[in-house]
Amino acid sequence: MLQVADLTRRFGEAVAVDAVSFEVPDGQLVGFVGGNGAGKTTTMRMIMGVLAPSAGHVRWDEREITDQDRREFGYMPEERGLYPKQPVIDQLVYLAQLHGVSRSDARSRASELLTRFDLGDRAKDKLETLSLGNQQRVQVMAAVITRPKMLVLDEPFSGLDPTAVDDMVALLREFTATGVPVLFSSHQLDLVERLCDRIVILSRGRLVAGGAAEELRRSGPVRHRLVTGTDAGWVRDLDWLRTVDVAGNTAIVQLAAPSDTDRLLAEAMRRGTVRELAELVPSVADIYREVTAQ
Amino acid sequence: MSAETTYASTHSVWRLVAAREVAVKLRDRNFLVSTALMLVLVVAAIGIQFAFAGHTKTQHIAVQGSAGSSIVVSASGMAKSADAKLALKPVRASSAKDLERRVTSGAVDAGLLRAGDGWRLVGKSSRNTELATYLGQAVQQDAVRRNAAAAGTTLADLQHGAELTYDLLRPSGEDEGAARAGGIVFGMLFYLAALLFGMAIANSVVEEKQNRIVEIIASAIPLRQLLIGKIVGNTVLALGQVVLLSLVGVAGLLVTDNADLLGQLAPGIGWFVPFFLVGFLALAALWAVVGALATRSEDVQSTSAPMTALVAIVFFGGILSSGVLQAVLSFVPIFSTIAMPARILSGDTAWWEPGVSLLIALAGAYGILRVAERMYRRALLQTSHKMSIRQALRAEAE
Repeated sequence: MLQVADLTRRFGEAVAVDAVSFEVPDGQLVGFVGGNGAGKTTTMRMIMGVLAPSAGHVRWDEREITDQDRREFGYMPEERGLYPKQPVIDQLVYLAQLHGVSRSDARSRASELLTRFDLGDRAKDKLETLSLGNQQRVQVMAAVITRPKMLVLDEPFSGLDPTAVDDMVALLREFTATGVPVLFSSHQLDLVERLCDRIVILSRGRLVAGGAAEELRRSGPVRHRLVTGTDAGWVRDLDWLRTVDVAGNTAIVQLAAPSDTDRLLAEAMRRGTVRELAELVPSVADIYREVTAQ
Repeated sequence: MSAETTYASTHSVWRLVAAREVAVKLRDRNFLVSTALMLVLVVAAIGIQFAFAGHTKTQHIAVQGSAGSSIVVSASGMAKSADAKLALKPVRASSAKDLERRVTSGAVDAGLLRAGDGWRLVGKSSRNTELATYLGQAVQQDAVRRNAAAAGTTLADLQHGAELTYDLLRPSGEDEGAARAGGIVFGMLFYLAALLFGMAIANSVVEEKQNRIVEIIASAIPLRQLLIGKIVGNTVLALGQVVLLSLVGVAGLLVTDNADLLGQLAPGIGWFVPFFLVGFLALAALWAVVGALATRSEDVQSTSAPMTALVAIVFFGGILSSGVLQAVLSFVPIFSTIAMPARILSGDTAWWEPGVSLLIALAGAYGILRVAERMYRRALLQTSHKMSIRQALRAEAE
């Protein structure tokens, strides 16, 4: 398990990351969400030891992280490229060797990965001759070829077509299935919502929300949508709930307690027909908008 | 996903980095083409030298009898022992008329005829002094020998006590030109290597920085290992190229009969190699810093300006300086790379000087490497903007 505690980074006067704490439990996929300049990349660089923190800690398995730990992590930095003029397989082997993988192992793993991502026949081509999407796949391979014990991926899905996204997701799931924690950042909130066990939201360097995805979505007030046969304006007169919005026969309300659902249904049925009464669970995008707007 | 992975120690990872640098370079067309071009230039330079000054000219001399033949042969021998680029070959003519006809037609370069007791040399339209000198000596020697025999004595007796040897107590003179040329060639080799490989190092550093691959590498191995690997890889390549060029040059000197010049240059070459190695190491570290200061390859042009200037100053300082200035420069790290071998070539160094200078250069290189490593580490992961040298020097400031 990776733990980040009060991690802070200042650049001169500016505070890029401000006392951020969260964890990436074993076998979980954690989505790192935030706008541009929110501090995601800076946080990831501190986790990877590429940037020294101004304050705070990064812990691995309940102790201070070491360079040796990081050497066994897989990392995909923000910008892409690797070595444009070197053959694909050569640089995968090189990067794996830097991580301590033997040359022969590195070769066979690289071939395996290339075949898996349908790039088997491009192994000896220079990286720059591949399409951007395929270069991105090679970048992913570079992060996983060491069979890391933790994955830190900065925007791994940007630039991937839907098929490649699915391939990538399947790959990440293989890692989490064996207990590897995975932290990745993304702008694609729907993707984060679909994939992640946990979500961490940063805004202007601060952690504004974090936790299990389901928990997070239910952490706010639960709302209900009521659709009646006639005008629903009467809900405004009820003092035991808060009316968020009424439009014709549809009302959005916020109940004080879950048991009030029955009370609302009874009230509505007493006044006429009820077409729908549904709980509205906010999406990650809703949460994100709400917490970052504050 | 749970295969056993051997996580070797990071202390020797620089070897992997160096091996990649070499492998990539050896497959780089630009590098191969420029190396081939330099080889062609060396071969061409030797070839031109050979064509203009090198080889011996053979002149054919028409003679009538065996006495004439033996005079021509002995004249040719004298020319050879005097190091003149001249060889003479007798050609038998059937008569004086035939001989003159051959000279006039240009079939032979000159003719040697009996004229009373003496000899007569005939040419076509102009006199050849060199020819006249050696044939004249041969004729004279032949006559003296015959006269000595007639007088009952020998040539050796007659010449007894007439020897004059000529020794130089402090030889310089003619050889100074060769020493100076040797210094320029060494300087040029170092200058080219420092510039070409230096730029290559800077570009390979900024490439890694620009693509952020350096972040992947930095999370896997200490940056010091990356720097050492880069420097070692490129130093091996540069030294390899210089050795290759030198071998071709030496082979050229041997082929063109300049073995004695080689003997004169040998100590210079012997010292040049360690000086090259140490000087190049120091410069390579600085070139890596220059690459790390930039954020994009376009920036390298501007961040490398101080380095190109430094390398040029080292080159011109090394080959143009003389006297006290050259003596001083020959003890300054990096400058000594060119200045010291140049002084060794001209023969004005005491036995201890090259060794002491090399030690100073080593110490200097070590200091430069330490400072460069700090700057490199600091600048390499600073991706937002181009850094100045001063900013990089203020290491650990943040």
